[in-house]
Amino acid sequence: MKYKSQAVAKLYFIAAIGLFLGQILFGLIMGLQYVVGDFLFPVIPFNVARMVHTNLLIVWLLFGFMGASYYLIPEESETELYSPKLAIITFWIFLVAGAVTVLGYLLVPYASLAKWTGNDLLNTMGREFLEQPLPTKVGIVIVALSWLFNIVMTVLKGRKTAISIVLSLGMLGLAVFFLFSFYNPVNLVKDKFYWWWVVHLWVEGVWELILGAMLAFVLIKVTGVDREVVEKWLYVIITMTLVTGIIGTGHHYFWIGAPAYWQWWGSVFSALEPIPFLMMTIFAFNMVNKRRREHPNKAAVLWALGTSVMAFLGAGLWGFLHTLAPINYYTHGTQLTAAHGHLAFFGAYALVVLTMISYAMPILRGRAANPERAQIMEMWSFWLMTISMFFIALFLTGAGIVQVWLQRMSPTPMSFMAVQDQISIFYWAREGAGLVFLIGLLLYIGSFFVKGESRAFE
Amino acid sequence: MPPAININNQDDLPGDFAIWIFIFAEMLAFGVLFVAYAFSRAQDVELFNASQLTLSRISGAINTLVLITSSYFVVQGVAAIKRGLNKQCAHWLTGAFILGGVFVVIKMVEFHAKFAADITMSTNNFYMFYLSLTFFHFMHVLMGMVILAMIIMKAKRGGYSTQDYVGVETGASFWHMVDFLWIILFPLVYIIR
Amino acid sequence: MANNKALFPTVIWLTLVALTIITFSLGESAMSGKGVMLTLLAITMIKSQLVANYFMALRKTKFLWRAIMFGYFIIVGSLIAMAYLMGLK
Ligand code: HEM
Ligand code: HEM
Ligand SMILES: [Fe+2]
Repeated sequence: MKYKSQAVAKLYFIAAIGLFLGQILFGLIMGLQYVVGDFLFPVIPFNVARMVHTNLLIVWLLFGFMGASYYLIPEESETELYSPKLAIITFWIFLVAGAVTVLGYLLVPYASLAKWTGNDLLNTMGREFLEQPLPTKVGIVIVALSWLFNIVMTVLKGRKTAISIVLSLGMLGLAVFFLFSFYNPVNLVKDKFYWWWVVHLWVEGVWELILGAMLAFVLIKVTGVDREVVEKWLYVIITMTLVTGIIGTGHHYFWIGAPAYWQWWGSVFSALEPIPFLMMTIFAFNMVNKRRREHPNKAAVLWALGTSVMAFLGAGLWGFLHTLAPINYYTHGTQLTAAHGHLAFFGAYALVVLTMISYAMPILRGRAANPERAQIMEMWSFWLMTISMFFIALFLTGAGIVQVWLQRMSPTPMSFMAVQDQISIFYWAREGAGLVFLIGLLLYIGSFFVKGESRAFE
Repeated sequence: MPPAININNQDDLPGDFAIWIFIFAEMLAFGVLFVAYAFSRAQDVELFNASQLTLSRISGAINTLVLITSSYFVVQGVAAIKRGLNKQCAHWLTGAFILGGVFVVIKMVEFHAKFAADITMSTNNFYMFYLSLTFFHFMHVLMGMVILAMIIMKAKRGGYSTQDYVGVETGASFWHMVDFLWIILFPLVYIIR
Repeated sequence: MANNKALFPTVIWLTLVALTIITFSLGESAMSGKGVMLTLLAITMIKSQLVANYFMALRKTKFLWRAIMFGYFIIVGSLIAMAYLMGLK
């Protein structure tokens, strides 16, 4: 660890992993509820579990992004963090607010929660991913701004690199686009617009800047390749991302009441969105092939390459699969969407956070890399999680295709619930793969506790 | 592995390789739209023909000449900088820049006429494509002008040399792409019926 | 020799201008049909390749790059032609 203040990252990383575990447990509960409808009824209804699953996802990714940037920015800027104390205070505020919110979801009926938290003052609740009560939303804004402030102040007083600029831009976008969640118009068409401006512009816009910057950082560190090369790639990738991603928002306007030309604009531009993801993959492999050093942290290299591949598969390929209007006409809102949502979120954002943790955590704990045994365990957990997530996506894709056929294309269409019965085998398989994923995650957590000589191997 | 790998290596494409990634991506996007236009037209030939006749072919043609000429100026600008002549390069590029401005003005008059006639992207499929394609191209002209302006300023300061003129070639390549696309767009949308 | 070389872009430019005027006149003559359409596409192909090879200066580069520009036009152009022929029926 070059700078003392980088140590705050550790807190964030630990919280991220803890919440990740929580997310998966709720995913498994829901996965079972899909096939055993009254599982845990009435203690944890499906809609509540869903909210907890997705919100924990967002929150742990945010913890991951914050921790990662507190680690990365001092090193890039070659100076201590502007205010480590602020980072620690923010951490506790965020953690407590997050915990209280999740408890609120679990213990209080959503409608009462809305009433108590002033949803009738400013109506923001009830939309997927943005279910948080008003005080939590305000809290998120404050936390995000304090994070942004801390990072930008650090960048300003130190060296300015492409990586830190791109990362700051991504964070700025994250904070700004979240503001759309405060506006919830009654008009359903407008409501959808604002919702997508958060959700889509996050994952297919500004978060990709964060993704690109972090991947570039780790790759520079583990390969020793020239910064200049990396920086140009980074700029090309993010420009392409923003151009295709912003207009590509149109792929959500197909059927919500927006003008029909969006079927063309959305289809064409979003069809180009996989290009920057593909470039990221090429870039990552190219860097590793041209590496100038053998970094002892083999696991981190694996995570980084894995991120670039899985992000391309989940976002690029699975996104492309249903992004053209004539296809989306049939697949909209089916299990195919869930398949893509899972593989993309995992492949791009879960993995990039885990990549950063894998690279930074050993250093934060005072060594260049973990002991060999720990690394092997970590790599096992990579493969278990990645492969099982890939299978989850495959099963859901299968479910989605059958669903589209039986429910929407067949000459004698079946009703929604009748179709769900037909495809329960896929849901069982998904739950099985989910259990493997959990094992992978537990193994991952276990790898932090493996003791031994930390040395470079091979 | 594709050549895109060596983004920084001297490639034999004129200009920085990064710009070519964009050029190819843009060509892909336009290509898809061109073909989509053609097939949508096949669905409703009469509507497309009738709407197409309302376009101002003369301004389309003038704009084609304008862009071709500006591209020619850019070629001269590159030739000048290869001989180390910063000032001449700046002059040629300024010419190209001004012609870009002419294109923009003509195009805006055209857009204005259409909007004044209450034509929007929702009027019909032909206008949807006409407005999308030309607007999208229009944005590229503006982008190209920004790039040209930056190069002109650097050239005026004597910022390039016979050794180092990649920047000029990069901008030139982008500008030629804008020309290239218009050369296909013009007959497709304005003329062929 | 040096003079010839300097004149070359001018020749290309004048050719492009001439081809544009032909395209425009064909449009004004209100002619339509298969022959005209194919003629216009052929002219467009020549123009686009002149720009690619001489203005973009791809003529002296690797075959791959010229192949991309040419292949692009062939693919896009023939799909357009196909669509137009479909529309004729
Ligand atoms: C890392 C990047 C990405 C993430 C995390 C992601 C995540 C998601 C999620 C969670 C949804 C479901 C939203 C809902 O609840 O309705 C979704 C929908 C969608 N995504 Fe992505 N996505 C990413 C990139 C892409 C890309 C690059 C494309 C296109 C090439 C794409 C195409 C789509 C489409 C078309 C839908 C709508 C599906 C429907 O109509 O039901 N996504 N995405
Ligand atoms: C490992 C076991 C997991 C299981 C069994 C599981 C299960 C589920 C289920 C049943 C849903 C609700 C789908 C619906 O509403 O019909 C869901 C939603 C979701 N999960 Fe998971 N999940 C798991 C892991 C993950 C992981 C690792 C991620 C991301 C990193 C993730 C991200 C999401 C997202 C983004 C949604 C919302 C999808 C949408 O709106 O289409 N899940 N999950
Ligand atoms: Fe999207």
